[in-house]
Amino acid sequence: MAIWTEANPFLDPPAGENSFSRITHNVTRVAEAEKPPKAWFIALGISSTMLAIFGISIAYVFWNGIGSWGNMHPVMWGFPIVNFVFWIGIGHAGTLISAILFLLRQTWRTAINRFAEAMTIFAVMCAGIFPGIHVGRPWLPYWMFPIPNQMSMWPQFRSPLEWDIFAVGTYFTVSLMFWFMGMIPDLATLRDRATSTPRRLIYGILAMGWRGSSRQWHRYERAYLILAALATPLVLSVHSVVSFDFATSQLPGWHTTIFPPYFVAGAIFGGFAMVLTLAVPARQFFGLKRLIAIRHLELMNKILIATGLMVGYAYGMEFFISWYSGSPYEGFAFVNRAFGPYAWAYWTMVTCNVLIPQLHWFKEVRTNPWATLAIGIAVNVGMWFERFVIICTSQSRDFLPSSWGYFIPTPFDYMTLCGSFGLFFTLFLLFCRYLPMVAMAEVKAAHPDAHAAHAQAHAAVTEAARA
Amino acid sequence: MKSQKSSYWRSLAELENSAEFRELLEREFAAPPENVRLDSPERRRFMQLMGASLALAGVTSCRWQKDKLLPFSQQPENMVPGEPRFFATSMELGGSANGLLVTSYDGRPIKVEGNPEHPSSGGAANLFHQASLLSLYDPDRSESVVQRSGGARQVSSWDAFEALVKERTAALRANGGKGLRVLAEPSSSPSLADMRRRLLAAFPSAQWIEFSTEGDNQQAGSLLAFGSPYRSHPTLGNANVVLSLDCDLVGPTHPFGVANARGLVKGRTPDSGNMNRLYAVESTLTLTGSIADHRLPLRSELVKAFAAALDAEVSAKVLPPAELGPAQAKPQANFLKDPKVFKFLAVLASDLAENRGASAILAGAHQPPEVHALAHRMNAVLSNIGRTVLYRPELNRTPDRELESLKRLTEEMRAGAVDTLLIIGANPALTAPADLDFASALGKVSASIALGEYEDETARLCNWHLPLAHYLESWGDARAHDGTLSLIQPLILPLHGGRSALEVLALFAGDNRREGLDIVRRTHAALLGSDRAWNKAVHDGFAAGTTPPRFFPTLKPLSALQFSARELGDSNVSNGALELVFLPDSKVYDGRFANNSWLQELADPLSKQSWGNAARMSPKTAAELRVGEGDLVQLTLAGRSLELPAIFTPGQAEGTVAVSLGYGRHAAGHVGGLDEAGVEPVGANAYALRTIEAFHIAPSLSVARVGGHQDIATTQDLYAIDPVGKIGSEGRLSELVREATLEEFKKEPHFAREAPREPLLSLWSDPVSYQGHRWGMSIDLNRCIGCNACVVACVSENNIPVVGKANVIKGREMFWLRVDRYFKGPPEEPQVSFQPIPCQQCENAPCEQVCPVGATMHSHEGLNDMVYNRCIGTRYCSSNCPYKVRRFNYFNYHLDKVGVTPFNVVTDRKKLIQHMAFNPEVTVRARGVMEKCTFCVQRIEKTKIKAKNARRSIQDGEIKTACQQTCPTDAIVFGDLSDSASQVARLQALPRAYALLEELNNRPRVRYLARVRNPHPELA
Repeated sequence: MAIWTEANPFLDPPAGENSFSRITHNVTRVAEAEKPPKAWFIALGISSTMLAIFGISIAYVFWNGIGSWGNMHPVMWGFPIVNFVFWIGIGHAGTLISAILFLLRQTWRTAINRFAEAMTIFAVMCAGIFPGIHVGRPWLPYWMFPIPNQMSMWPQFRSPLEWDIFAVGTYFTVSLMFWFMGMIPDLATLRDRATSTPRRLIYGILAMGWRGSSRQWHRYERAYLILAALATPLVLSVHSVVSFDFATSQLPGWHTTIFPPYFVAGAIFGGFAMVLTLAVPARQFFGLKRLIAIRHLELMNKILIATGLMVGYAYGMEFFISWYSGSPYEGFAFVNRAFGPYAWAYWTMVTCNVLIPQLHWFKEVRTNPWATLAIGIAVNVGMWFERFVIICTSQSRDFLPSSWGYFIPTPFDYMTLCGSFGLFFTLFLLFCRYLPMVAMAEVKAAHPDAHAAHAQAHAAVTEAARA
Repeated sequence: MKSQKSSYWRSLAELENSAEFRELLEREFAAPPENVRLDSPERRRFMQLMGASLALAGVTSCRWQKDKLLPFSQQPENMVPGEPRFFATSMELGGSANGLLVTSYDGRPIKVEGNPEHPSSGGAANLFHQASLLSLYDPDRSESVVQRSGGARQVSSWDAFEALVKERTAALRANGGKGLRVLAEPSSSPSLADMRRRLLAAFPSAQWIEFSTEGDNQQAGSLLAFGSPYRSHPTLGNANVVLSLDCDLVGPTHPFGVANARGLVKGRTPDSGNMNRLYAVESTLTLTGSIADHRLPLRSELVKAFAAALDAEVSAKVLPPAELGPAQAKPQANFLKDPKVFKFLAVLASDLAENRGASAILAGAHQPPEVHALAHRMNAVLSNIGRTVLYRPELNRTPDRELESLKRLTEEMRAGAVDTLLIIGANPALTAPADLDFASALGKVSASIALGEYEDETARLCNWHLPLAHYLESWGDARAHDGTLSLIQPLILPLHGGRSALEVLALFAGDNRREGLDIVRRTHAALLGSDRAWNKAVHDGFAAGTTPPRFFPTLKPLSALQFSARELGDSNVSNGALELVFLPDSKVYDGRFANNSWLQELADPLSKQSWGNAARMSPKTAAELRVGEGDLVQLTLAGRSLELPAIFTPGQAEGTVAVSLGYGRHAAGHVGGLDEAGVEPVGANAYALRTIEAFHIAPSLSVARVGGHQDIATTQDLYAIDPVGKIGSEGRLSELVREATLEEFKKEPHFAREAPREPLLSLWSDPVSYQGHRWGMSIDLNRCIGCNACVVACVSENNIPVVGKANVIKGREMFWLRVDRYFKGPPEEPQVSFQPIPCQQCENAPCEQVCPVGATMHSHEGLNDMVYNRCIGTRYCSSNCPYKVRRFNYFNYHLDKVGVTPFNVVTDRKKLIQHMAFNPEVTVRARGVMEKCTFCVQRIEKTKIKAKNARRSIQDGEIKTACQQTCPTDAIVFGDLSDSASQVARLQALPRAYALLEELNNRPRVRYLARVRNPHPELA
């Protein structure tokens, strides 16, 4: 950790209480620092290299045909759709934390909601790329949009892929609005503290004329509430709709009614794991330990156990139903998952998603940031494999044994997968550097100091009554 | 026109303005094109005129380059641009001709079909006939006369070669042709026989040597049995019991395969209670063994003793007349004591004896002459001759044994006794027995001339190479399986300036007729002398009434056969003493089709291997040898060895390894292997192990693992899959491929039907309201022999791209129609089922529901239409298709291989020639789109237009899909389900009919007719 020993403004946050000014200082100094820490540059170097690999792999695939990936017959979908569902799943935690926990008045969410939302946006961006690039003629996916045209071509609305377009599109739009609107007061803070004209100008535009007046706060709170109410069903709907891609198909292993809740639970599970994966290093490296406290990590770990158990239940229930249905094809699909040629993927999934999170039953584990990080990464791996198992294993062996096959990814598959992480981390690092990583205004609102006057008034009333 | 009479007139008729003239004005064509009969003299006249004009233009030697044939500044009579025309011709393979009807589109042949009138074809063609079209347009075909001296290759010309012939023949004439040898494949062509006579008359000391890779055991067997070489062919339609002694009688490599399949299946219609029984005794699982009711896996070398024992048993039961001679003594063979073999033999003998005059016994080409003689004898004993097995005298072949004469030739060549060697069509440098070392002997011949379609292994060692015209480019003749004279008619002038064998021989013989047409007409001057008779024969593709009359040969008593210790041995042998069987390949035959990518890509019907060959062995033998599937093994035979991967074929006799010939070529072309272009040979060359002694069946083979593994390109899983997959697939087989025995079928005719249940509901209403035709298909699994002809026909009709080995390994082959093969039961004696799977054209199609852009839609006639230019390639449809019949263009296969795109202008002549193979009625798909079987919608539409113009309705059977048309057993029937009298509607109403995966409520329009086996009650 040599890079941290030199003078680093992020390493030693000012001691003392989390007063309002301290909060502002702690958060804004990241964006206002002259130079970000070296680790940031190293991380950005790695992630942008990965991003370049993403670009190269996609360009090659575009040029040569999507056969450059390992997609084959019968595994027609392969990695791109696995990645799509994986990233969409990741994109769940942000809005869940922001919207549902907001409606449930879980104020601890304020520590993590901002970058969880950012994570959502970036994950959905990564996800959105895949349906576009995985098609055979990647210059034409806009045909899936209902754009009036002289050829009278129109999308086919019975297709779940078409539903995806709208589900993901709506989710992305609402999430972006929610994220951006929530950021306005903080952007105004950055604007007000800006010392250079370009910063003033850019943050000024982004702050959209925020003055902090009571009327603005009032409108802001209302709008936030409305967006939260709008976003809440979306959290549940978007992954349900994505699961329809599979659930409404006939393929054994896909044709399952449990998919919508199972996918949502899995998405929250994976999303929280990703938030933890990002939060632990961020609080460490940007000195946000007081804002993102161990208590917050612990609460999220508890959600991880809960959703992990739901996912585990779904795995078990799928097996039960496949036997209970009496359909030989369904039954085989699941036996094949667990014991067929792709058993390694299945057991990786079970280990990472069901077994490893159980460690969080121990308080020492769930309050240890590094254990949290390790388990978070394991869950991310497990969730990627869950999608791999659902898509590739099911497709590889369907009804007619004559069409069975074994999917083997090519280097381009790995390049595209790793490249999508490059895009995600590049965007995330840029966010950390240039935007308020923690929702200052909301943290302050949830801070005990915010209620000091209120508490004093209460005390006065009580005292008067007593008198 | 103001008045009725025009002021200026072009003809008196116009001046008169008669009713006839007015009618003429209204008509678009002077004579309605649809009224022109195919055999009309105008067409022949056109051919003559075209020929004459080309001859006058003086471009006979570089005819294609001038592009004289295609552009019309004046439209010839009877030719409507864009209207296909059909010409009858024939293709000879293995010494027998199959009649073909070739579709010609603006002067270029684009599709080969069987000739319905032809006795061998009956409207069917096998995969070799179908794929021969691609060979016509093969850019690797030789383009010019080539001269080689001292290893230097020099492009020469026919003129230079003619000068050589002049000089040579002058010298040869002086010594009576001493030193002149012609090496050719045996052929049934009367004209070739005539040319041979003329050549040998001109050069009495010259010799004509015949050599083929399939050998002449058949002929030798006839010589042994009758004392005379007779040709025989079965009429299996009359047989109740058929026995194959290691003979793939319905397979494509059998010269009479198409006719045999048709005949055999004629007697297998359980619905009318008519079921023959097929027994197969064979070492390697063949198509015949797959459809057999009883199959006994036996090493090929044991078949002789088996046949002798059968002769003993049958004769004991039938008590034949004394003039047929004594039966063989029952050999004391160990394997015959095996209770299974013993019982098989006993039941078979009694079944044969009970069906005297209605049974047939056929021996395989690779079985020794004794087995053929025994088959002839048993057929005589069972009074089958003249009933189920017909004979005719051999007219064409030389009496010598092929291998002996080839050996003698090689020795003469080595001794320098041969100064002029003309090799016609054959490729002996590749195919001659390895111990002859024919290649080195070639170097001793001062003038070696190879006439061949390719500059192949032999051509590269000869001084001269002459391009041979493809059969679709030349005149010729041949005989059908029953001896009927068939004519070979060119569809196009030689693309590369090739000449036919007849024309080259005419040059040598100093014949005054030089053109193929003249030569063929002269041969048949007596029979088809008049223009009328000739034109009719050319139109029909064969000369009616030329079938030889029935002929009853007299059997010669057969002396007691001698058996070696091995031939009487155990049914199993150990490593080092294994048996190796050489077989012609089901795709590249003897290697001549090695550069045909349609065939290379095709999967072997049983091993499902494409792009290559392998050492086929039973799983048990492999386990004893400790060899895994795909492991590289070294086969060693008498000091010669060969490395190739192992593949498991259940049903292979234990102790037998089979390899197919024709792979591992170094000078085949850009598809099959070409050293100078860096194209690796496809597969391994099994000829390297083949010697005179071990020409068909070799003892003392040793197999060793050499380490290493090779990915075998298969279109279905390899046999050795994980236990989960094995159990899972076996469990569902009885659902997918429904079968019953004849007894069960009689008891419960509806065995294949699903139990009645609540009607299945769907979320979706019908996508369209069905109107008019309801197209449907029935596929009779009882008739399907798995021969793959339909698959190649589909490839040819629908411009299906070839993807290459690497992509086949990834499962990306593009076949719209595949024939699934399943094994059931123990791997030692598996039951094999074939199931052709085209698009099922579901009424409630899962693919249609999931396409986000509506690229696949339902037609009112119930077709699942695919709109290529709407498709963006999400592949969701294929994911949701339970039959997995939708295939995806992962790459721009046609662009990569042929150079076609809508955006590029191709000027490369070779690529332009490749383009000519495309069917212009079917879109050539680009990368990134899904494609699938359309029920040959182009044919449906064409017929609909034709019927509409004629104001009539479409007749049942008028539309034939490409797969249906070429099926030798009529297993596939297509038609209109709304016409309850149509054949397909009647078949779909049969109790045997069932829909595949019916419970998914897809409501497929294809119905399978369950297979019925006819086991003998005592063996069942």
